[in-house]
Amino acid sequence: MSIAFFILAAIAILGAVMAISLRNVIHAVFSVLMFFSALAGLFLLLLAEFIAAVQVLVYIGSVGILMLFAIMLTTKVMGDSTRTVLSRGSVWGGLAVGALLIGVLLPFLSKPQVAPDSLLADYNPSVQELGLVLMDPYFASVAVIALLLTAGLIGAVVAASSASETNEP
Amino acid sequence: MNLNNFFDHKLLELGQWVEALFNDIPSLKIAVHILLCTLPLVLSFMGAFAFSTWLERKGLARIQNRPGPNRVGIFGLLQPVADGIKMLFKEDIVPDRSDKLFHFLAPVLLMMPAMVGIGFLPLGDGLNSLPFDSAILFFFAVGSMNTIAVFMAGWSSRNKYSLLGGMRAVAQMISYEIPLVLSAVTVIMIAGSLNGQEIVASQQLSGWIGSGNIIQEFFGQILGWHIFKPWGFAGFIFFFIAALAEANRSPFDLPEADSEIIAGHLTEYSGFKYAIFFIAEYISAFAISGIAVTLFLGGWSGPLLSGLPWFIIKLFSLFAVMIWIRGTLPRLRVDQLMGYAWKFLMPLAIINIFIAGLYYFAEQQWGTMIALAGGWVFGFGALQLAAMGLSRLNKSPLLKEKRVYQFAE
Repeated sequence: MSIAFFILAAIAILGAVMAISLRNVIHAVFSVLMFFSALAGLFLLLLAEFIAAVQVLVYIGSVGILMLFAIMLTTKVMGDSTRTVLSRGSVWGGLAVGALLIGVLLPFLSKPQVAPDSLLADYNPSVQELGLVLMDPYFASVAVIALLLTAGLIGAVVAASSASETNEP
Repeated sequence: MNLNNFFDHKLLELGQWVEALFNDIPSLKIAVHILLCTLPLVLSFMGAFAFSTWLERKGLARIQNRPGPNRVGIFGLLQPVADGIKMLFKEDIVPDRSDKLFHFLAPVLLMMPAMVGIGFLPLGDGLNSLPFDSAILFFFAVGSMNTIAVFMAGWSSRNKYSLLGGMRAVAQMISYEIPLVLSAVTVIMIAGSLNGQEIVASQQLSGWIGSGNIIQEFFGQILGWHIFKPWGFAGFIFFFIAALAEANRSPFDLPEADSEIIAGHLTEYSGFKYAIFFIAEYISAFAISGIAVTLFLGGWSGPLLSGLPWFIIKLFSLFAVMIWIRGTLPRLRVDQLMGYAWKFLMPLAIINIFIAGLYYFAEQQWGTMIALAGGWVFGFGALQLAAMGLSRLNKSPLLKEKRVYQFAE
């Protein structure tokens, strides 16, 4: 299990690093997708099947395609390859982000580890449980989000239809 | 002798016997388990692919009143082998200015979701490579990765036709994913599970099967199928139409429409890479037919010999219907394709969800017979009304002037 974790973590880090360092935007998008799929694998290792499926469905299936569509509308795919990426600002930024991450993780790292087997014994993840939790205590927020999404969808349709009318010769 | 699930249980026993040989070495046992879960699936679906290419060529030839492949082997049955050898020895041509890495990766990436997708199918009682609790959702999630691979192929070839084909494929696959999932939602609602085996179990009349009466046992394996319910029948039709588009099968084979854009995203592929595209396409067609079988046609349940044999029969029957459609229907136009998904199929699928919900409560309140009768009369009436209204709404306005073609003359 830990071997799988390290392989997936390595793929995820590689994808993330490539996404910010590659000069070709399409390559960068595909490395972001690599990162997303490694993340889905990590969720699977945590026995969070549903989250993994949603990760693949939403991030790889939809967000990735959205990014590709946005890029197809631009004319220049390749960035400036002569300019160097690394400057002093990025070093300080990287250090700051690293410090923040360690600061967030430190309380958990200092705690003694919990044996995973004892947790797994009475842990039975299922979509049904998730649905019950979402639909019982958090029903109001789910309904509000659904309403918001519907409003956004209708707004998009209205915006698209009015734009096509004005553009007509 | 009761032959129900005979083959499934024998196969499972065989697998357990093989695994038991490695009892002394636990790490090797895991590897053997993984191999046993994947290798037979991959090999058998490769075989099914080879057979289905022959079936498709023969079927199309029959429709077009010509003999079809008949030189290699009896009835041309060895034609797939000959094709495979030819493909292997063909030169692999990569365009000079293409994106070499992505040009190579695209077929690999297309093969992956197709192969993972068949792992989620419940092939028989307990025969499940990936027995996930949310298998159906996972199947659709993995299926959405197809789009990325096709786009990759189209973009990396650096060819106008390839890019056009890739864009068409992306637009089509995203659009048809919505009616596909929405029509599957009805089954998930009624079965109350995303697990393939539980969905199959919800389509067996367990009271009849265990009764001991021969006639009841026979029909208990058939009459529970979701396709015999009003929402299931409509849902199956919507699902199958959307599945044809998802698998890029005719009449939705616009991404590779050879009369318009040469071969779409396949234009710059040759040799074995092309063959891999071909294989992936057929296997994803199989996978999506398998999900249709699981959701609506009772999965592996069937009279007398339920289990793997029935699943295979249903899978190939659906594939035969796909061939039949390919030989019969002309290809759609791009705007017709998109309009059909968004303006017609999607609203009907949403209405079908409401009908399924009403059916569920009617069944609880008044029993199955009344719910079925009411569903067929009122549910189907509502769908018919909605379809008529939608087709009236979607009628394109009459053109006032004569249409002028800029480039055709």
